[in-house]
Amino acid sequence: MGRQIRNLGVFLVVLYAALFVQINRVTVFGAEQLRDNPNNNREIERDFAAPRGSVSTADGVVIAESVESTDPHSRFELQRVFPLNERYAHITGYYGFSVGASGLEREYNDELAGRTIDFDLQDVGDLFVDRERVGNLTLSVRDDVQRVAQEQLGAREGSVVALDPRSGGIYAMWSFPSFDPNPLSSNDLSAAATADSQLNEAEGNPKLSRAYQDRFFPGSTFKVVTATAGVERGGVTQNDPEYPQADSYTARGTTRPLNNFGGRTCGGTLFIILQQSCNSAFAQMGVEQVGPDGMVATAEAFGFNDDDVPIDLPSPTESVFPTEFEQDLPRLAQASIGQNDVSATPLQMALVAAAVANDGTIMEPYVVQEVRDDQDEVIDEADPDEWKTAMSPATSALLGEAMQSVVAEGSAVKLDDGLEGYEVGGKTGTAQLGTDPPRSHAWIIGFAGPPGETPHVAVAVLVEGQPGASEQTGGDVAAPIAAAVMRQVLEPGAGAGG
Amino acid sequence: MIGAVRRNTELGLLVLSTLFTVGAYVLASLPEDGTIPANIGPFLAIFVGLQLLAHVAMRRLAPRADGMLLPLASLLAGLGYVFIVRIDEARDNPDGLAGLQSLWLAVGVGAFIGTLVLVRDVRALERLRYTAGLAGIALLLLPLVPGVGQTINGSKIWVSFGPVNFQPGEFAKIALAVFFAGYLNEKKELLRVSKEIGRIPVPDPKHLGPVLVAWGASLIVMVAERDLGSSLLFFALFLVLIWVATERASYLAVGALLFAAGATFAHAQFGHVRERVDIWLDPWPVAQDEGFQVVQSAFAFADGGITGRGLGLGVPDKIPEVETDFIFAAIGEELGLLGAAAVLIAFLLIIGAGLRIATRSSNGFERLLATGLTTLIGLQAFIIMGGVVRLMPLTGVTLPFVSYGGSSLIANFVLMALLLRISDDSVRRAEDRLAALDQTQMAG
Repeated sequence: MGRQIRNLGVFLVVLYAALFVQINRVTVFGAEQLRDNPNNNREIERDFAAPRGSVSTADGVVIAESVESTDPHSRFELQRVFPLNERYAHITGYYGFSVGASGLEREYNDELAGRTIDFDLQDVGDLFVDRERVGNLTLSVRDDVQRVAQEQLGAREGSVVALDPRSGGIYAMWSFPSFDPNPLSSNDLSAAATADSQLNEAEGNPKLSRAYQDRFFPGSTFKVVTATAGVERGGVTQNDPEYPQADSYTARGTTRPLNNFGGRTCGGTLFIILQQSCNSAFAQMGVEQVGPDGMVATAEAFGFNDDDVPIDLPSPTESVFPTEFEQDLPRLAQASIGQNDVSATPLQMALVAAAVANDGTIMEPYVVQEVRDDQDEVIDEADPDEWKTAMSPATSALLGEAMQSVVAEGSAVKLDDGLEGYEVGGKTGTAQLGTDPPRSHAWIIGFAGPPGETPHVAVAVLVEGQPGASEQTGGDVAAPIAAAVMRQVLEPGAGAGG
Repeated sequence: MIGAVRRNTELGLLVLSTLFTVGAYVLASLPEDGTIPANIGPFLAIFVGLQLLAHVAMRRLAPRADGMLLPLASLLAGLGYVFIVRIDEARDNPDGLAGLQSLWLAVGVGAFIGTLVLVRDVRALERLRYTAGLAGIALLLLPLVPGVGQTINGSKIWVSFGPVNFQPGEFAKIALAVFFAGYLNEKKELLRVSKEIGRIPVPDPKHLGPVLVAWGASLIVMVAERDLGSSLLFFALFLVLIWVATERASYLAVGALLFAAGATFAHAQFGHVRERVDIWLDPWPVAQDEGFQVVQSAFAFADGGITGRGLGLGVPDKIPEVETDFIFAAIGEELGLLGAAAVLIAFLLIIGAGLRIATRSSNGFERLLATGLTTLIGLQAFIIMGGVVRLMPLTGVTLPFVSYGGSSLIANFVLMALLLRISDDSVRRAEDRLAALDQTQMAG
């Protein structure tokens, strides 16, 4: 009997050893797979039940926070609310249980939920203190500027981006149409699902941020890039060459001419052709002074074709400049004036203006300035970092002057309305959509700041599908919006439009 | 002599297990409101009082018995109680199960002391083996009696007399262990006789009768009461005991064959058996339906990781029936691999102590009974923990001492008392023999 009892003991130990191995599999080795299983919603439930930090603008307006749910049937005690509704939908995003999360709610989920926060234990007493372990975000975005952007664009599809060229901090990023993140974030899960499917079918795709997740023909605003290429790689200076007065440009090896707007005749030196937004001259510059390799290299130095757009928001899209020209010079001529396959996000075009403003250096754009813990201690801070060197400081000085002359005497005269006493530079754009009746995207990019200083603000404004196709569209439609936004940045006390 | 050492060890270990339980109770309540629970006073009084009562009873009634079993039972019962408090909390149900469980704990300790008082000599039970056998079968079949039996969650394992519900199977297993031990101790010589067919020794067919009866009985339990776990447990108990009694491994082989046949038959014939096996093999297609419990249990362990989410920080209420069959998953979630391993070790220590009691006993019946009782508790714990972590198909039995439930708690305390009584008996007899030897030597 003794031997059998010992064997029984061994047998039971073997069973328990197998059990131990299996427990290791579920708790440790296979745990990752189990946590990622689509049936597993424990993590998101945990986040939903847990306190979550708030998001505030630089001027202290709360734009996302968790409050006690007033719904007696709510599954969760807390409800995420976005007090300014549409205004920040593309920045904060939404925070839904089954519809998922977007924007900062998604990108900064760990910070908001407090998972990245080191919980300092000062003494044993802290163990028993009821602290909310959350992170609160403070943005570089200013509500006064964002509000002006929203009001100025109004009910026109388009986008406004304003940022600080010196740091990359974004002051305002608005695009229309937008959406209200509150229904999507509702604790009433079926209401949230309904709101989500309605938005997904809505016209104009309001869930998409036109500012950084969609791209458009940049039109003549792209001439700033071509001018940079001309100066840096094509030997173009302020006075030389002097482009011929022409109504079109015909590249070698083709009989198809590229026409100026309305068959107008233009030409001259760099400042003149930029002021006039002269297609024939810039097409010639791109083809003859710079060439395909130089155009691609310069466009990429501005950030085109880089799919790793370094903004702290999810799913940014890259801007595109074609690279395969081979000997297709007419195509290069078109690309040099921002047509053909060139497409850019409004954010990218704001960064083009910022490069000129900031000695040729593009800073990484960001919206989150600081992460603070519940005791208001800063635990993480935006660390401005260079993204691209688009041009040399000498080139940026020359182009800065050229863009100021566009505001002084060229197509962007409305850009300095209300900005007397500041140095303002800009470039308009009208990207024809080839429709009948003619419609075009009206663009402007620009910068402004106190004289003698690096400009404090760079902007890009896009107003989509405007009637007409004259070069003046960008200057008439987009410039006043950009002027109002820049004025709000530079003179917060003056009040919008007043 | 040895008695004093063992009782002092027991007291020390009980103090440790009490410290653990009280600490865990306080910790489990902290995340809710950040304060020490208001009812900590009464809780402490009842918990410490029960342990003290059991310990004093041991000093009086079984002073020489093993000193580890009671603290291990106390540790597991304390852990179980803390998790039942947790589950009440998670379900937002302050008048939930914890109050009842503390009542069952008190009744369990009462049954423990009562068993020690009533059963002064385990060998007295040997004479009652056929009574025990009949009682065991009666208890087993009781849930099938119309008007008395209750079907809960598809299993017919409950009976109710007026307001009192209980699971007679929990008590049947002890009665059957007594019967098997007595019967096999009586017949072991006969059962050892084997014939050779070819060169393979097989038991005489006429002695295979009891094996077949046990097999049939466990099949009936499985089919009629849909209680796979208990069915497996009874059959394994009988097989282990006939093997230990006869020292013939051929019984194990025959038993394994019968088990395989029964399992194949059941799998082919019964949907509820097939469903359990399918969920075990691949729960994911039915993760939101029949496989929900098992899948949620796996998620709970995955959330737990090595050290667990921490007491009070899990969501045990996500798993249906977490308080009984799946309490091990709640432990895995909040205490992690380390806590789950501690539970395994506690059961291994119980198995070790129980089998040591069996080998040290000089009486055949006591040996078999100790082996049987130890097998019951060790295998039952394995069956449910293995089902919960998907090592084997899930068969609903309780995790001894840990799961919620009066029948299980009381039955396991009685089982523990019997083991301790056997331990005390064998030490006392050894001391008597030693004393007699001394006397003889002195006389000589």
